[in-house]
Amino acid sequence: MESVLFGIGVTALAGALATIAGAAEDTESNIGSQGDPNSQVQLAPQMGYIHRIYNKAVSGEPPAYGLWVTISAGVAWAFMVAGMNPVLALVIASALAIFVQGVYATTAYLGRTASLAKFEQPVYIDVIKSVTTVTMAHAFVAVFPAVAMCYLLVAALNHPFPLALLGIVWGIALGAAGSATGNPFYGKERQYQSQKFGAGVPISASGNIVRYAEAGQRSSLDNGWFTAKLAGPASGLCFGLIVFFELWRTVLFESVAAGWGAIIAGVVIILIFMIIDRYIEVWARKNYGPYQPETTEEVSA
Amino acid sequence: MTAIEASSSGGEGINPVASVIGIILILIAIAITYSVAPPAALAALIGVIVGGLLIGFGVHFVPVGGAPAAMGQSPGIATGVAMLAAGAGLAGLFGGAWAAANPEFGFAIVIASGAIGGGLLMAITCLMVNIVYIFGMGIPAASGKVAKDPITGDTQEAYKSQGTEGHGLPFISYVGGVIGGLLGGAGGTLIYYELLKLYSALLPDILTADVAQIMPIAVSLAGIFAIGMFLVNAVLAAYNITGTIEGPHDPKFKRFPRAIIGCATASAVCGLFAILIVVV
Repeated sequence: MESVLFGIGVTALAGALATIAGAAEDTESNIGSQGDPNSQVQLAPQMGYIHRIYNKAVSGEPPAYGLWVTISAGVAWAFMVAGMNPVLALVIASALAIFVQGVYATTAYLGRTASLAKFEQPVYIDVIKSVTTVTMAHAFVAVFPAVAMCYLLVAALNHPFPLALLGIVWGIALGAAGSATGNPFYGKERQYQSQKFGAGVPISASGNIVRYAEAGQRSSLDNGWFTAKLAGPASGLCFGLIVFFELWRTVLFESVAAGWGAIIAGVVIILIFMIIDRYIEVWARKNYGPYQPETTEEVSA
Repeated sequence: MTAIEASSSGGEGINPVASVIGIILILIAIAITYSVAPPAALAALIGVIVGGLLIGFGVHFVPVGGAPAAMGQSPGIATGVAMLAAGAGLAGLFGGAWAAANPEFGFAIVIASGAIGGGLLMAITCLMVNIVYIFGMGIPAASGKVAKDPITGDTQEAYKSQGTEGHGLPFISYVGGVIGGLLGGAGGTLIYYELLKLYSALLPDILTADVAQIMPIAVSLAGIFAIGMFLVNAVLAAYNITGTIEGPHDPKFKRFPRAIIGCATASAVCGLFAILIVVV
């Protein structure tokens, strides 16, 4: 009984850490414009819209986060083998991994922006100075809880994978959950605020991103502020629920029905989420109704 | 015709020459394994090939909209095919590896644990995607590829915003995502489990150590190969999809036989090397 209670406690803690990691991951990727909507940031100068948005998307979020979390996990493991206190090892290893992220962010921004030189998109030195440090700070808030969660899975729940391997697995899953959930809010609601709310962005409007903030030109720091209110928490909830339910069903039901208990619990959870999804889909159709075209809107091809 | 319409016609047939070459490569990999390795290695290679084609098939179910989905220009999840499929499959591998570490659990429970892990990630992710579309952007789900949702019968055309290919995640795409996660998680776990069994049987002799001592090495090696082969198969299948796919109702879904042959061939060659490192 005690071991089950201990397992549930660890599960809750791991879920909470994953929630923080997910929320910070999405905000970091929006400040750095690393998710899928980055294509619009890259496209804008080609359409004649010069902007001050940071763009560090060389690869997608999942491989990038896979890299940073794995570096942190590997270095933390080495420190712990050398006899360092685990908490200290996790903090220092995460900080070291963030320096890699900082180098990546700087070179990616410079490289991507330099490729737009023929469209007269300048490299803003003040944007590098202000945004890089902020994205590094957010990356630390994302990577540290992710690695701490992986350490909990090894040390407290005895998962067979070594720490670095769990870093790859959960780093990629963190990036996948964050980029899936948070990207639409950043891509549509933030970059296309000039478009009608409650409708998709017409293909003809591609590249025409909103470039001005309340006071002066918008920089990527404004994006962090905006997306932290919905996309970040939604991504955090998504990753937190994934980690929590994955652990919870195993810790609590693995001993039921010779191992099939955890699988049945998983199927039930999936069905519950499916029913919730269907409910909100029907709710949206009932409450929003069919699409109402605006007479003033440009008809696209 | 827009760029998105042009790229979504799908349905190209199988290239017979390429397919024959692929099948010959698979047979060569099996023959080499049979001739240089113990019989258990052959079973492991077959497991790896089946795991690879499960992943390749599963990726086609995952509704991915890429950058257009992030603007509400096309339905699906706003990320890359390989990224999302890898995320789901690796979450499945996490659950499968955990079950495999318990000596009381047999083959069926381990594979089912992996499948449910992948399905769970997709179910939660798909729900949160719809929550962001509906409550964050005020957009109902609408498919651009079918007039009616094949499961619920909902009509799509009226809910689609002007100038877009649809948006959100219709119910058929949600179900497709869960099926893709289940298949990917099962495939990745199958590769891991087969390699783990082989390594834990052969490594004690090679390293002259007992099973308990070599287990961390066997688990790490099998885990690394499973993750690597997952990415190989997910990326191969993503090339077959070329960008975006709504799910099993999308015309591009019909291309899956090509990906299955490709993934089986790639898995056979990768699996051969994964086996040879402990045999030769």
